[in-house]
Amino acid sequence: MSELYVVFKVEDGEYVLQASDVLQMESFAGATKVPGTPPYVAGLIHIRGRVVPVVDLRLRFGLPRIEPTMDSRVIVVQSGERTVGLLVDSAREIMKIAPEGLSAPPSWMGGESAGFVKSVAHVERRPGEKRLVMLVNFQKIIGQEGIYVDERNG
Amino acid sequence: MTEILVVDDSKVMREMIVACLRAVEDFAFTHAASGLEAIEKLALQSFDLVVLDLNMPDIGGFEVIEFVRGQDKLKRLPILVVTTRGDEGSRSRALGAGASQFMTKPFTPDAILANVQSILRQGAAGFHE
Amino acid sequence: MSSGFDASEFLAGYLVEAEEHLSASTMNLLAVEASLRKGENNPRAVRELFRSLHTVKGLSAMVGVEPIVDIAHAMETVLRHADRAAGALSAKAVEALLAGLRAIGERVRALSVNAPVAPAPPHLLDALAALEITKNEAPLTVEIDLEPDVLVKLSAAERAQLIQGVEGGRRALRVDFVPSPARAAEGMTITTVRERIGAFAEIVKVVPLSIPVSDAAPGGLAFALLVLTDGRDEELAAAVGATPEHVREVLHPRPEGGADPLGEPSTAEEDVGETEGRRRGIVRVEVARLDDALERLSALVITRFRLARAVDALAAQGVNVGELGDIVKSYGRQVRDLRGAIMRARMVPVAELLDRVPLIVRGLSRATNKPVRVVIDAGKAELDKAVAERIFPAIVHLIRNAVDHAIEPPAERRRLGKPEEGLVRVTCFERSTNQLELCIIDDGRGIDREAVARKASRPVPADDAGLLDLITQPGLTTLEQATKTSGRGLGMDIVKRAVVDQLGGEMSLRTTLGAGTTFTLRIPLTITIVDAFSFVCGDQTFVAPVAAIEEIVEVAPEGLVRGPARHTRFGEVRFLERRGEIVPLVNLASVFSLGAGDEPKALLVRRNGAPLAFGIQRMVGQQEVVIRPLEDPLVKVAGVSGSTDLGDGRPTLVLDLVALSGALSQNRTEVAV
Repeated sequence: MSELYVVFKVEDGEYVLQASDVLQMESFAGATKVPGTPPYVAGLIHIRGRVVPVVDLRLRFGLPRIEPTMDSRVIVVQSGERTVGLLVDSAREIMKIAPEGLSAPPSWMGGESAGFVKSVAHVERRPGEKRLVMLVNFQKIIGQEGIYVDERNG
Repeated sequence: MTEILVVDDSKVMREMIVACLRAVEDFAFTHAASGLEAIEKLALQSFDLVVLDLNMPDIGGFEVIEFVRGQDKLKRLPILVVTTRGDEGSRSRALGAGASQFMTKPFTPDAILANVQSILRQGAAGFHE
Repeated sequence: MSSGFDASEFLAGYLVEAEEHLSASTMNLLAVEASLRKGENNPRAVRELFRSLHTVKGLSAMVGVEPIVDIAHAMETVLRHADRAAGALSAKAVEALLAGLRAIGERVRALSVNAPVAPAPPHLLDALAALEITKNEAPLTVEIDLEPDVLVKLSAAERAQLIQGVEGGRRALRVDFVPSPARAAEGMTITTVRERIGAFAEIVKVVPLSIPVSDAAPGGLAFALLVLTDGRDEELAAAVGATPEHVREVLHPRPEGGADPLGEPSTAEEDVGETEGRRRGIVRVEVARLDDALERLSALVITRFRLARAVDALAAQGVNVGELGDIVKSYGRQVRDLRGAIMRARMVPVAELLDRVPLIVRGLSRATNKPVRVVIDAGKAELDKAVAERIFPAIVHLIRNAVDHAIEPPAERRRLGKPEEGLVRVTCFERSTNQLELCIIDDGRGIDREAVARKASRPVPADDAGLLDLITQPGLTTLEQATKTSGRGLGMDIVKRAVVDQLGGEMSLRTTLGAGTTFTLRIPLTITIVDAFSFVCGDQTFVAPVAAIEEIVEVAPEGLVRGPARHTRFGEVRFLERRGEIVPLVNLASVFSLGAGDEPKALLVRRNGAPLAFGIQRMVGQQEVVIRPLEDPLVKVAGVSGSTDLGDGRPTLVLDLVALSGALSQNRTEVAV
């Protein structure tokens, strides 16, 4: 069975996330900075009564910061107990990918985002026109929780 | 910094008063939601001006004014009474009890700002001696 | 306008407050009516009514709603006379006042949908003006044992209230509260004292008194509180931080006369028995004390964190830590259980919260001439007191809408083959360990999607979720008639703000045309609310709990001393002198790497006795805020304890300056707090 993926862009790369993990997409109107957090944490936003941290994927991938544009989006992703927004350059598309279409990232793949890519897929947009999309490792992007997190939460 | 105590049991009303006055950067605001809270804050902190409503739970503005004027260290504290119109009798009673100025709701931002600034100027020149 | 004041900016706030005053007034009028049937006055309810109407009048004048100003003014005049006559109101007056409340309610609701507000009905104003106020027949001559300076402050109504209370079997007591900065820092202010006492006693009057300045009374101020209670002296004394011998009885029960409260217990005998039963084995605890316990608990959590880290470090060095790991884990579990136990102590039964609903429905049912039956099924669910206080107005709003707009008039219901009596049900159950589901259900006409969309000039929503989005739009422009035909009421954005924005809950809607509507609210069982200062630092707004801040200090550059360790990685440390004590001063903006700016003010905190001042740009104000904990590890940093919404829709950080001071003194900022 093919699954649905949300496609988004950061710089020139095209990335995907499983649509079932995506709660919603919002345009980006700024976030409240939290002092003492890593530079790639863009800050906090309110989403439907919830306070959600936002990771700036450009900075997370080691790319230069740019001013958010009309196309910038926050993709709100839920994984287990955690809900985090990802700030990306744009996100417009949904696509289907069959599980067998996904393969391990090729060894030649470098770049700063390399460590954050779980697998890749070659998809056909139009007959004869193939492109590479990268499935990101969300857990790695938001950092694995330490073993202490549970009791700090409550 | 000019410390202003805004006393009114209605939160919206306090916010409106602050909105009228916040154009002056030098003003800092403290809220009190009742006459008793106002008296407590006045006894424990120092303020340059009080903006006071007359109708509040438990203890009204008149009692606040009377109490303030009965205290040595608060004798000269400027008080601007802001109350609902129709209390025409209140004006003379409030001024008689020692309020510095009296204005009725509804008021315009310009009016209250002008009042506050004039009271503060007079205060510096020895108002209520 | 020069200062950018715009009344429409405050319209939402006005609507909320007006609704609150209206529902409080309806209940007070019902209480007056109930007293009237027993042949008694109710001076307290009359005074509350007077105050509410006066406030509504003032607010309405500010936002420019003249018809409401006129009605409220006429009602206020009646109530002022009644207050002076120790609360005497005739049955006719109660009817006229109820009509007045209805008229104001209609206009408030018109305003909330941008509909034109009808002028004040002349016949109503005439009826109010024509009321003859009954003179208080029996002048009260009872001796009240009070100093003249306190006695002179009591109005006739307040004296009557004291006497009635004593006749009803309660004791009239006086106790004095002496405020001080030290007490304020512990959260003990006249406001919190009143709240605490209000939980078990009726406060009749508070009189401020000038007393000589002393160490215990640095403000030269005491508050004499006169209360009616059947509680214990110890309880009252503890609430003001005094000992029981400072509690004094000011009025003794009258031994003569027919109405001896001891010989002939009052009408509500069963109630008394039940209350006694419920009370058995119950200790009242101040919420502040529980918060204190929670705070101490968080120190335990940090210790556990450090312990785990030390064990990890040992393991990393190849040491066999054996059982230690398991011990650390079970310690963590125990700490969590303890936290749960403390949180449970703050809970109140939802059934108790909903106790007031039948009374409200009765009032609405009378006001609209629709018979309505109310069924409440609250089970055993419990809710944090702070959440309960915030959710209740939303529940009242939904119930009001159901009776006013959803339930059809009896004739129409008969025609439709429905029972003449409408039904409103409120149910609730605990959905998960931290979520409560509340349903407000009616069997009325349902919401007509098309009608709502047409009147709002919006596309017809595809489903109930879309419909909910539409009716909770602020300032949705439907006409009043639209709400009548569509069966949906108003001010739904206010409900949404309380449930979703303030409490972080969820809301959903299910409606069937002709059959009824269900609103489902899912709300968290607990929230944290504190009184907080807001201030600006490095051009960003922050808030910090008032209780944590010992003092706000003016920083005069000429009074600063530079210390030996001039630069640290969080900026320059300087020193200021405060009442003979040397206090280190750091610039909060530098600590947070927000760029060092001016710091004309500083917030002084104390940790384990050691003071530290944080320089800031300027103070903004003080208000109660709902704190949402920040749980994600990405944003767990020292000194930031949560986030709140100051009303601009953006998160504002809540700072724990005491923890931050601890982190700085250990010269590291990665401590988990």
